[in-house]
Amino acid sequence: MSAVNIWEKMLNVDRRWIFLGIGIVSIVPFLIGFGMPITTTIEVEGIFDYVDELGPDDAIFIGFDFAPGTQAENMPMAVAVMRHAFHNRIPVFMTAYVPLGKGMAVAALDYVTNPKTDGYYERVLFEDWADYREAGITNKEELTAAWESDGNVLSEGAAGWVFEGRDYVLLGYLPLFHLVILGMTGSIETQFPVDYHNNPIGGMPILMEHKSLREVDLALTTSGSAACTAWITYAREKIGLPIAFGVTGVMATDYFPYIQSGQIVGQMGGLRGAAEYEVLLKENGITRTTGKAFRGMDVQSAAHIFIILLIIMGNIAFFAGGFHKKTRLKGRR
Amino acid sequence: MYDTIGIWVGAFFTLAIYSFLYKENPVYRLAEHLVVGISLGYTMVLIYNSVILPKLLEPIFAGNHLILIIPGLLGLLYITRFIPSIAWLSRYPIAFIMGTAMGVAFPLTMKAYVLRQLEAAMVPLYSSGMPWYEVFGNIVMIFGTLAALIYFFFSKPHKGLFFGTGSKIGIWVIMLGFGATFGFTVMGRISLLIGRIQYLLGDWLHLIE
Repeated sequence: MSAVNIWEKMLNVDRRWIFLGIGIVSIVPFLIGFGMPITTTIEVEGIFDYVDELGPDDAIFIGFDFAPGTQAENMPMAVAVMRHAFHNRIPVFMTAYVPLGKGMAVAALDYVTNPKTDGYYERVLFEDWADYREAGITNKEELTAAWESDGNVLSEGAAGWVFEGRDYVLLGYLPLFHLVILGMTGSIETQFPVDYHNNPIGGMPILMEHKSLREVDLALTTSGSAACTAWITYAREKIGLPIAFGVTGVMATDYFPYIQSGQIVGQMGGLRGAAEYEVLLKENGITRTTGKAFRGMDVQSAAHIFIILLIIMGNIAFFAGGFHKKTRLKGRR
Repeated sequence: MYDTIGIWVGAFFTLAIYSFLYKENPVYRLAEHLVVGISLGYTMVLIYNSVILPKLLEPIFAGNHLILIIPGLLGLLYITRFIPSIAWLSRYPIAFIMGTAMGVAFPLTMKAYVLRQLEAAMVPLYSSGMPWYEVFGNIVMIFGTLAALIYFFFSKPHKGLFFGTGSKIGIWVIMLGFGATFGFTVMGRISLLIGRIQYLLGDWLHLIE
C-alpha cells in the first residue's frame, strides 16, 4: 500500500466511524465527570449583574421563543434566569414567540418547581390563594407570612414559595408575536386577557403593578431563531426596554454587535452561556449546585477536542497526500 | 405511569432519529413524519384554541364585536389559493399584511439595525485615558468594517491600493467572522446531542443525575 493510498483512505473514511467517535466522546464524560472549570464572560455577567440588581418592585419577561429542537441550549438559560428571579423575588412574565414555546415555558416552570430539582420553589396556584387576595394580602412578604401562619409548611429542600399571579404568570403564545410585543408596550392585558390556565390576568397583583412593558425592567428572550430581534425592534427601540439575549451557539456571533452598540445588556451564547450563568448562580449563593448546562460542558470540551483532532488529521492527509495540487479526489469525495 | 410511558416513547423516537446516522430506514422515516405531523397538528389546535376561538368566533357569536367579521373574511380569502379561478383574491390579505407589517416595522427596523449599528461604529479611535486594548479594538472594528464593505463594492474593479488591498483585507475579516460562526455552530450542534444524551442516560436509563 503506497503512502498516497493511506492519505486517500483517511480522507475517504466512512463518516459513520466519525459519528461513532462523537457518540463515544459524548457519552463517556457524562459517566466519568471531569468537572472542568468554566470561567465567566462579560456578556453573561452583564445579564447576571442586571438581574441581580432588580428586586420585588421590578419585573422581568422571559420569552420562551424556541421550539424543542433547540431545547438543549435554550432551556438551561431560561431556567437559570427564572431561578435567579425567584430567588430575588422578582416577578416573572413568561411568553412564547413560537407555538411550541408555550410547552417549553410549562416545562421550565415544572422543572423549577419540581421537588426532585435541588433548591426547587414550591408553587402555589392562583386559585389556591384566592382568599388572601380577597383579604387584600398581595405583598410577597405579608402573603408568605399569612400563608405559613395558616399551617402551610415549606418542604425540606425547597428554596421558597412562588405564588402564581404574584411571582409569575405564564401568558403563553399568540401568533404574529412581534405585533403582540408592540401591543404590550401599551397594555399587557389587552394582548393577554387570560393566562395559560384561563385565569383573568387583570386581577393578578403582578399585572396590577406592571401594566405594560413600560413598567417592566428587562426582557430576556431565549431563542433559537431570529425571533429574538423582534424584542429589540419593537420593545427596545420603541420604549427603551432593556433586552438580554439567550441564543443558540449557531446564532451567537450574529448578535455580538448588539452588545457593542448597547442595544442588549448581555448575551448567553449556546450551552456555554447557560453554563456560565449557572456558575454565577452558584458562586453567588443563589443555588447550591450547577445545572444541566454545566454538566454538559465536559462533553462539549471532549467533543471539541475530538473534532479539532479530526480537522488536523484531515488537513495533514490533504496536504501530505498532495491533494491540494489536484482538482478532485478519487472515490466518493 | 404516564410519565414513564412518555419517557420511553421519547427515547424510542430519539434513537429512531439517530438511526439515520447509520443509514436511512423505515423507523427513521416514521419518526420524521411524526415530528412534522404532530408539530403541525399541535400548532393548528393551539392557534384555534388561543386565537380563532377566543378572539374571533366567541366575540362574533356573542354579538358584541361584529366588526371582527371583516378581518375574519379577509383571512378566509387565503383559502382561495386552492381554487385557481378565484386565487387572485388571496392577494388582498397578503397585501394587507405586507402593507401593515412594512408600515409598522420600517421605522423601527431602520433604527434598530441600521442607525444604531452606524452609531456604534462611529467611535473615536483614541481619546485621552483610553486603554491600549480599547484603541486597538476600535481600530480593528472600524478598518475591519470598512474593508468588509469594500469587498462588497462591485462597481469598481478590486485593483489598486484602496479597492485591491482593501477587498483582500475584507476577505480576511469575513473569513474570521465565518470561523467564529463555525466554532459556535459546532458548539451548538454538539449541545443538541448533549441534550439528547442527557435525556437517554438520565431520564430514561437513570445512569446520570
